[in-house]
Amino acid sequence: MVVNRPTIFIYCQEADGDLLQEVCAGIEEEGVLFQVLQHEGDLDTLAYEAANESMLGAGIGMTGKRLAMQMQRLPKGQNVFELNAPAFWQCRNLGANSARAIKKMPFKAVYGEKQ
Amino acid sequence: MKLIAGVDIGNSTTEVCIGAVGEDGAFRFLSSASRMTTGTKGTLPNVLGIKAALEEAMDKINQSLNALDLVRLNEAAPVIGDTAMETITETIITESSMIGHNPSTPAGAGVAVGELLFLENIWKGKPGVPYIVAAASKFSYEEVASRLNQRIPELDIRGLILQADEAVLVGNRLNGQMYGGLAEGHPDKKMPIVDEVRHISKVPEGKTAAIEVALPGTSIRMLSNPYGIATLLNLNAEETKSVTPIAKSLVGKRSAVVIRTPHGNMRENVLPAGEVVFHGEREVRINIDAGADEIMNALGSAGEICDIDGQQDTNVGNMLRRIKTSMADVAKEHEHDSDIRITDILAVDTLAPVEISGSLAGETCMEKAVGIAAMVKTQHLPMQKIAERLEQELHVKAVVAGVEAVMASIGAMTTPGTKLPLAILDMGGGSTDAAVIEADGSVRTTHQAGAGELVSMLIQTELGLHSRTTAEQIKKYPMGKVESLFHMRLENGAMQFFEESIDPRYYGHVVLLSPGEMVKIDEDIPMERILEVRREAKKKVFVRNAIRALKIVAPGNDLRKIPNVVLVGGSAEDFEIPEMLMEALADYRIVCGRGNIRGVEGPRNAVATGLLLSYLS
Repeated sequence: MVVNRPTIFIYCQEADGDLLQEVCAGIEEEGVLFQVLQHEGDLDTLAYEAANESMLGAGIGMTGKRLAMQMQRLPKGQNVFELNAPAFWQCRNLGANSARAIKKMPFKAVYGEKQ
Repeated sequence: MKLIAGVDIGNSTTEVCIGAVGEDGAFRFLSSASRMTTGTKGTLPNVLGIKAALEEAMDKINQSLNALDLVRLNEAAPVIGDTAMETITETIITESSMIGHNPSTPAGAGVAVGELLFLENIWKGKPGVPYIVAAASKFSYEEVASRLNQRIPELDIRGLILQADEAVLVGNRLNGQMYGGLAEGHPDKKMPIVDEVRHISKVPEGKTAAIEVALPGTSIRMLSNPYGIATLLNLNAEETKSVTPIAKSLVGKRSAVVIRTPHGNMRENVLPAGEVVFHGEREVRINIDAGADEIMNALGSAGEICDIDGQQDTNVGNMLRRIKTSMADVAKEHEHDSDIRITDILAVDTLAPVEISGSLAGETCMEKAVGIAAMVKTQHLPMQKIAERLEQELHVKAVVAGVEAVMASIGAMTTPGTKLPLAILDMGGGSTDAAVIEADGSVRTTHQAGAGELVSMLIQTELGLHSRTTAEQIKKYPMGKVESLFHMRLENGAMQFFEESIDPRYYGHVVLLSPGEMVKIDEDIPMERILEVRREAKKKVFVRNAIRALKIVAPGNDLRKIPNVVLVGGSAEDFEIPEMLMEALADYRIVCGRGNIRGVEGPRNAVATGLLLSYLS
């Protein structure tokens, strides 16, 4: 029997290490578990599959400095949040939001100016 | 065929109605419209709103404004409503200062006491002294953890205050030995870490502080109890008394910090609440501390009121003076009557969140407050001038015709199923008016302070909302909570599902279901609380005012002698106020319901309709 841990999946393809670390910190601060896995595909596919394969129902895709957050049952390509070469705080909040999606809490600001 | 318009200027809305009289004298209603009233009711700026509303109504029947033959304005009741709010209790912290808030993710749990030390000065720390370390957000979570880990074996660090939202991150990186035995009395708990403390620079280094983090799902116990604070900070009886407001304001929080700052770093400034003075048949004074019920009783015992004011240099004195000052622009329009007198008030008990002097993170405390709607009566509103201006601008004959309450009654009579004698309750934005028409045509009317705008103000203050617009919308629309991207839970418990996913901005938020779009409430307030505040505010204002107003116009002041009541005006359109009134008036065996003017308009447009009907007779 295969037992999956309840984690948020982060599917990466040549992901930027510093940005990835911030994303992970965001999830950790919210107290949710996560797993970083190497995968093939474009950004939309990575995020879509991460969300659908996680038993928690939220996932993040990352290629280089591009990030997308997805939730289960949303169509592929319709990412909840999408960032391109973001600042650290944006990655942190994106990570936090993937955890908040599971906790059913309002999202933190991801776009715009740092608050 | 002649086209005639009826125009009703209210405190918040201007309503118009267009009708046509044929050659044979037959009359038909053609269209209606309503717009926000521009400027204070009864002043020249109203003309702008009247024109906009007329244009809209004429547009609906594909006619231009100059096709009108006659405009009939109501002789607006010379009352103008205004609202104000004053807190009558105040929390001032003298011997201590505090941080109390609900960060979503503090770390650890339990209570700790120690001397405050900034992270940058950690090298100054002496072994054997218990410390609470405070770290600004310029230090990353890794830096905070590694600096602490370096010093941990020798320094007794019991708790942590962070500026950034990183409590869990730091907690997870502290050395294993931190996890046991440091928080007193809780040997198996992790050391408490409070985060998201915005004004960390205001934390006074070197002072003794107590911090507490509650377990998930619970709220703090020690710091929300005066004796708990006394135990932790070694306070005597006198000092314990002075920290009671701190304990009170920390009730229900997930984490808190209380810092002892002896010798009174904060100074207090108490403005006495003061007395209201009713100048009526008898002069009655009442202290505002007595609460809304006592104030309203005092008002009743004063008989016919000619003016109301407050004791000088007190909260209530300032409040009533402010209302009078804000009415000054109306007064200027009257050449002969420049003195402004308040002839009625409605006082309502409420709670207002007030920032505590002496708090470090902008904490607020719910203070007892009184909301007051006041009504200013003037001799005569300059309606004639508005009519003249309208005539100049539109090149259409404009006349002032008919008293507001009478017109409203005539309009209300067009509601199917009504007969004389009939009472109307006109609930607008600024005032609640009642009138009774007897079968012989005689009319008794009254105007009471307090209506929709007071409700909005109560909602805004009790929920601590930033914008009045949000409060207005909470008043008007039902709510739901977005629980997933595909469904929301409505305020009555029902679920609503969506084909298309909801915009993620709304996720997890309480939203207002206004027609056509959802409005997000930015403040993090549970839906149940909003619901409770909204219903209470409406009850406090409208149920009390309805009974007060109907008693005055009822034959022999006996409510049971009124057979039926038609509710008209903007607030009668509300989705729950009419039901509340129906319930309250059922005790007096009164048939009461929302009007339906001309069988199509709902409770709006009664006065404008009355103006047209009265032209015919």
